[in-house]
Amino acid sequence: MTTKKKLIVYKILLFAFAFLVAFMPSTVSRSREVNSRVIVEIIGVDGGESVSITAQYVMPTEAQGSTSKDTVTVEADTLAEAVEALNTALGRRAELGHCSMVIVGKDASADLLGELMSSTDVTADVYLSAAEDKASDLVGDLTAFMKKTGATDADFIAYGAQKAHVATNTLLGFLSDLGSASESAYIPLVEMIQSEDAGQGGGASSGGEQGGSGGSGSSGGGESKGGGAGEAQPTGMKVERLALYNKDGRAGILDNTAARGVAWVSAPVEKGIVAADVEFDGEDIKNVTGRLLKKYVNIKVKPYSATVKLKAYIEPNGDKFNALDADKSGAAKKAVRDGFAKAIKEEMESAYRTASDMECDPLFIGRQFYRFMPKFFSQSYLPANVNVEFVVEVILR
Amino acid sequence: MNAQSTGKVNNKIGAGESAQDAGSTNTAESKQATSRQLIAIIFILAIATKMFLLPIFLIRTTGRDAYIAMAIGGGIDLVALGVMIAAMYLSREVDFFTLLSSTIGKVGAKIAVALIGLFLFFKLNTAVAEILAFYGNNVLNGFNVSLMTIVLLVFFAAVGVHTLRALCRLNELLVPLIVACLTVLAVIVILTGFDLANIFPSLQNPESFTDGLMRHAAWIGDFTPLVLFMGRTKLKKSTGAFAAGAGAIGTAVAVFFTMIMSAAFGNVPMLADSTTNLSNILQFSIGNVYGRIDMFSSILWSISVFIEAALFFYATCRCVAFVIGKNAHFWISLAVTVLVYIAQVFALADRTLFSLAVTSLPTSAVIFAFTIAVPTLAVTCALVQRNKRNRAERDS
Repeated sequence: MTTKKKLIVYKILLFAFAFLVAFMPSTVSRSREVNSRVIVEIIGVDGGESVSITAQYVMPTEAQGSTSKDTVTVEADTLAEAVEALNTALGRRAELGHCSMVIVGKDASADLLGELMSSTDVTADVYLSAAEDKASDLVGDLTAFMKKTGATDADFIAYGAQKAHVATNTLLGFLSDLGSASESAYIPLVEMIQSEDAGQGGGASSGGEQGGSGGSGSSGGGESKGGGAGEAQPTGMKVERLALYNKDGRAGILDNTAARGVAWVSAPVEKGIVAADVEFDGEDIKNVTGRLLKKYVNIKVKPYSATVKLKAYIEPNGDKFNALDADKSGAAKKAVRDGFAKAIKEEMESAYRTASDMECDPLFIGRQFYRFMPKFFSQSYLPANVNVEFVVEVILR
Repeated sequence: MNAQSTGKVNNKIGAGESAQDAGSTNTAESKQATSRQLIAIIFILAIATKMFLLPIFLIRTTGRDAYIAMAIGGGIDLVALGVMIAAMYLSREVDFFTLLSSTIGKVGAKIAVALIGLFLFFKLNTAVAEILAFYGNNVLNGFNVSLMTIVLLVFFAAVGVHTLRALCRLNELLVPLIVACLTVLAVIVILTGFDLANIFPSLQNPESFTDGLMRHAAWIGDFTPLVLFMGRTKLKKSTGAFAAGAGAIGTAVAVFFTMIMSAAFGNVPMLADSTTNLSNILQFSIGNVYGRIDMFSSILWSISVFIEAALFFYATCRCVAFVIGKNAHFWISLAVTVLVYIAQVFALADRTLFSLAVTSLPTSAVIFAFTIAVPTLAVTCALVQRNKRNRAERDS
């Protein structure tokens, strides 16, 4: 065969391959394929005697821009069955790979989350949020809020991870923390700010309003959550507290101060506002603020003692600081630095104390002993036997 | 002038020049690869399959000590690489097949090459199985695996009918992209304060570590296809040092990323599976705040596995060509693709059985033996031939 003929054969083969790729069955039926799927954005997991999954989903349709956001709840004996029931309830294949947040109900066990990661399409990097009670209620409220505000995705926890002083966690991070020597993990608790004004906003109901196959008429036993006129409406979110977990499940909830203490030590937060009461010239000045620029944490362990050392770079701001520092003498700066250091130390101590009462170790001090003193950890370590000291160094910028 | 450049194909191998012809598309005078191409190939061989799914397999068996196992495996491969580079310098003009024929005779050479071909075929199938497992369960979930295998084999066949230089050129084009992707991934890891300390404490369970280490020798011997570069590479004075450096850097990169994965999954090793890759790991501590950058990078670097698998395919074909004594590269490539297809779609369809076979102690022992034996054979033959030449020169 001559080179010219070979080239012609190659060209024909190339066109044939391109034709095959362009018109192969799955490509031709693309529109039908879209119609046969439903994208789950948020999953709520509730445990107890049975497993309950609540999904906030988007139903893509052929017509551009005509998607509907809704929720559906299914219940089954196991997580795998619940996921299967979700498909049946929605009448389409539920795409869990695009899920951006998993909400964990009070009774959901860590094993359920492990199963969620290992046996479904939910990715390891999905953010976790905790509901104070039922995850299904929070998913419903979030859906209503998102409809009302027009939010298209549930990445507000990602905002918290970057810009706010919130200790966030991912699914893999949570499971890894819980599987560590500290056997503890945390999840930020999401709470809705409610308004009694029922007449406001178009998204009065948290499900069912826009129809879709996941509504009350779903075939798989799904239960669509609807809200009615006159009920409290979500107008915003609060992410201030932390749900703590140990090997037995949810151990308790840390208040705002202790949650901030956990964020200082265990979370990679590098933003957020710091507020402290400052003592200057014999006067107590309330709530002097600064913005965190960067922090470094180091936990040093020795037999029976641990030192948690935090170095924080903070940029003081606000009128109160400017008024204090008017003479630029440096004395005000020192007072503010001490005030910030004291406030941060109190938050860290509060986190350690409160969590210890719940038999949790969200600062992962035990893990540090296991990492660097494994022999001591296996033979002598008990949280109660260890003296923990907190050292805070604040550098003002 | 070689067979290819004259447009002729030697279908019947004669004595003397047979080895060169059957072992390559070009004959002895051509230097198919440049120094740069050799260095680029070595870098890819050092990272590709070692960073793909091996870290996950090691983590599942050795837990947070996976990176130590990886370092030991990488170290063994680096020793093999050093020997291979020495062999290349000792035999700058004569290719491996010719060298073998001249040293141990034609029949002995064919038996040795047949065994090496089987080893390469095994390595090829291991790499293909990994590619199909990862892409079939993850990136191209839902795409028919049999069809995916065909697409992959078309690429391999295209490589098989071309020259070593063509594959080297393709690799040369892709290496900068792969390096850029890995750099992005590494920078993200470093900048986000990844908790690398989770790799500690080390070796808390020596028994399971030793067992895991012994069972994963199937992933060493990645530098074996470099025998094809013997006598066919333009070697400069500094090529050896750079080639060894590329191997060392590649191994360090593989160990570094295995450390990251060991840290991420050290507490929960059983949650790591074939759908897990670097993209899952990088967001471990910070969540998905980098959007698709890291995802993009983690997918793109994995094309290095295709290059490595293609090189195994090419080397297998050349071994077959030498053993049967024919230069029919098209038909040989076709036959090997059919064999790979049968192996992947029918014989190795049960991935659990395949995994058990690959990670068995006898398999590991055989692969380890080949990893050491092939470079040793190459350097021994090169030394023998050099001594013969020296003696002949002295005598004359």
